[in-house]
Amino acid sequence: MGTRALVMAAYLLLPLPLAAQETDNENPAGKVVYDRWCAGCHGTDGRGEGPGALTMLPRPRDFTRALYQVRTTGSGELPTDDDIMHVINVGMPGTAMPGWEDLLSSQEREDLVTYLKSMSRFFNSSPPPAQLEFSNAPRVSDDRIAEGAEIYEQVECSKCHGRSGRADGPSAPTQKDDSDLPIYPANLTQNWRFNGGGTVEDIYRVLRTGLDGTPMPTFSDLIDAGVITDDQLWNLAHYVRSLSPEESPRIREVITAANVGDGEGGLPTSPTDERWETVDKFYIPLVGQIVVKPRWFNPRVQNLWVQALHDSADVAMLVSWSDPSRSPNEEWAPFAQQIVEAMGPKDEGSTWAPGAPDQLVVQFPLTLPTGMERPYFLQGDARRPAYLWSWRSDHDRAVEMVARGLGTGQEQPASSQQVSAEAAWADGEWRVLFRRSLATPDSTSDLQMPRATVVPVAFQAWDGNNGEAGNQAAVSTWYFLALEEPVPVTVLITPLAAFLLTAVLGLVVVTRAQRREKEIPGRN
Amino acid sequence: MRFWPKEPFWQGVAVLVMAFLLIVFGIPYLPPLLGIPSAPIPNSVVVQYMLTALVGVLLWVSDNQTRWQQFKQPFHAVMVEERKKPIRMILLVLLPALIGFIAYGRVKPSLDAPPSFRAIHPAPPSSITFQGRTIEITGLENPLRTRGSLDDHYEEGKSIYYENCLACHGDLLDGLGHYSHGFNPTPLSFQDVGTIAQLAESFVFWRIAKGGVGLPNEGGPWNSAMPAWEEFLTEDEIWAVTIFLYEQAGKTPRTWEEHAEGGEH
Ligand code: HEC
Ligand code: HEC
Ligand code: HEC
Repeated sequence: MGTRALVMAAYLLLPLPLAAQETDNENPAGKVVYDRWCAGCHGTDGRGEGPGALTMLPRPRDFTRALYQVRTTGSGELPTDDDIMHVINVGMPGTAMPGWEDLLSSQEREDLVTYLKSMSRFFNSSPPPAQLEFSNAPRVSDDRIAEGAEIYEQVECSKCHGRSGRADGPSAPTQKDDSDLPIYPANLTQNWRFNGGGTVEDIYRVLRTGLDGTPMPTFSDLIDAGVITDDQLWNLAHYVRSLSPEESPRIREVITAANVGDGEGGLPTSPTDERWETVDKFYIPLVGQIVVKPRWFNPRVQNLWVQALHDSADVAMLVSWSDPSRSPNEEWAPFAQQIVEAMGPKDEGSTWAPGAPDQLVVQFPLTLPTGMERPYFLQGDARRPAYLWSWRSDHDRAVEMVARGLGTGQEQPASSQQVSAEAAWADGEWRVLFRRSLATPDSTSDLQMPRATVVPVAFQAWDGNNGEAGNQAAVSTWYFLALEEPVPVTVLITPLAAFLLTAVLGLVVVTRAQRREKEIPGRN
Repeated sequence: MRFWPKEPFWQGVAVLVMAFLLIVFGIPYLPPLLGIPSAPIPNSVVVQYMLTALVGVLLWVSDNQTRWQQFKQPFHAVMVEERKKPIRMILLVLLPALIGFIAYGRVKPSLDAPPSFRAIHPAPPSSITFQGRTIEITGLENPLRTRGSLDDHYEEGKSIYYENCLACHGDLLDGLGHYSHGFNPTPLSFQDVGTIAQLAESFVFWRIAKGGVGLPNEGGPWNSAMPAWEEFLTEDEIWAVTIFLYEQAGKTPRTWEEHAEGGEH
């Protein structure tokens, strides 16, 4: 009998006294901290049913089941104390679970680890978990990434995560977690939202351990079975890492639309035009609309990328975002239904019905504000209306609207529609290209966009296959669109004059000083 | 003072360098000593301080004839000495180029976001209409503090907070909820000494009841994502969540007496 088995046997004999010890102590140190800071989500009893629980998906963890995702131990094993400590410290990006390192002392956090473990009898009845052996990350190279891409197809990551990693695989609409709630495969192009962290080491670890309680499997068994090597798993991890930008995107308040002039074929006319590759991309994070009824706590569109150009006559704006499906889609209808049920009709109900489309609204003020004043960020108000470009996937066109509050948009008559849109959906991504002339004939019902100005702009997006419709959308607050002009040559006159003037002045001073030096050497 | 230069010119340079370091890095340390949050010093203020320091240095060197002569010596040397010709040429190009560059920065058309001056705590109205009823804000106290059990109110406020406020203001009450990155202005932190800790509960009641849309124009009501909670909560529920905010953040509200003694929001 090995020592491990001995320890195991000892543990099997121990549960009773240990459990007795627990109940002896009515108020373990961790309980006070837990009740104050964790119970609002995880519930006083640790079952993940605190008052905040219904506003989040994934739900807060049920600690009585001892299912932990961020581990260094094998699939189905308990986490080590350090694993639990790590999650408490840094939280889980992409979920509601925050990090606590700054707020709680290390003693308090250690007490919490003990307390969380005491909520499940598994920790008492099982041997202490053994850490997996992790190798060190090999240096990334193009070859490794290329091989990783092959393995990605070979071991069928794409079944769930899709060919491009945007969670659009054929099995995606049927994924559920262990509590029978719908769950999305992670969007692999956004590593800053990975629950266990976004570095290549984090990805490798997740591939080795799996995410217990979710459909995300472990791939350690493929190594054990000799299907792939440990080194190849690293290549896969490098490939997954390469799907996301090198650095997490930064939020910039001003979206610049450069003036392309009339050279080079003018503005791109298609959303898939290659020229968009070279145009600066602006990252716009979106969050659920939780300001007016009915609220929405589970937005699918987490962010948009916006690119814009103009040619002094027209403006072209390309908005692209990850969306695993083109709504409406029969195959996704049950999934949407489950989401609607899980997120509950919170206020006065959900407005979603099967067949809901994907939608995007680009919002401007109806008239260019002179001071700070603008329309309310959710489609304006009675006093300051908003002017919208509204696109929907089922009509496949965009219309101009004027709105005085969220959802009040009135379509302008067909004769005064000026905006055009062309959309393309491929591999889990929408790309919608809007185009309009900067100045339009309907000067009272369309925003006029003079050149060289900064125009407030905001966005709203809906994923119909995620139970979204009406006010239940993903939204942003105000950003700005800057219609840039090439710097005119005349601007250079002043700096040039300043340069010459100072240069001449300097020369005069120096020559005078030198002349005087010759006349009376040594004096200054 | 082994490192202290002897020549007035270099002494002047040293004083200016020290003044710069003090202004840019030293001064921001002062407010925290008094418990006020610190902020970096704007460039225009740095320029002003540095000009003052420069005038001071010039006054000092010109105060004494020999010192003035010594001070001018390096300038003179650069202008006339054959040995210093390379420095002279470089300066003759660099200085005008610098001036030209600054001028370019001034005249270049730039498209920035319009500046936003937002009063975070504008003066509250003296009374509001709450769900069709008029409530006097001036002198208003939290009625739950003298009714029932504070623990019960805290627990009720906690449920309300986790169901409604969490996504924005965060479980740490630090304004960093998992939705906060989507909003500009960002949700306020109740841990900060500059928010609820310096407000009367009546003000907090008004802000929760009327939300961002209820702000006067100087508060930028069109930008604020703070919902108007009178649409969702009853009067007592708002008072309960107010109690939770103060208890959880470990802060005490300002009272009307303190208010009358002369502070402002
Ligand atoms: C805002 C709500 C919220 C609060 C407050 C909160 N959590 Fe969580 N927590 C979550 C959610 C949601 C998850 C599940 C995320 C998932 O499954 O992807 C989670 C997961 C966890 C996990 C599981 C980690 C893993 O590896 O799977 C631990 C441990 C945890 N929380 C500990 C704590 C502790 C300790 C506190 C208090 C200091 C706390 N949480 C406070 C929302 C919260
Ligand atoms: C059966 C479906 C399924 C398969 C197959 C699958 N995954 Fe996942 N994966 C998921 C789900 C579901 C999640 C999200 C879990 C969550 O949000 O808690 C996930 C999450 C992830 C994450 C994010 C981890 C984190 O920290 O949040 C990565 C990276 C990942 N998968 C990579 C892969 C790779 C690489 C493969 C192939 C080797 C793969 N997955 C195969 C379903 C799957
Ligand atoms: C959608 C995001 C959001 C939600 C939800 C939200 N707030 Fe706010 N809150 C904000 C923002 C943004 C501000 C700062 C801008 C402002 O002052 O209007 C703010 C400001 C405040 C202030 C003003 C503090 C001060 O110093 O003036 C109080 C008080 C407040 N919130 C309380 C609450 C309470 C209580 C709830 C829940 C019932 C709540 N908030 C829910 C976004 C939110």
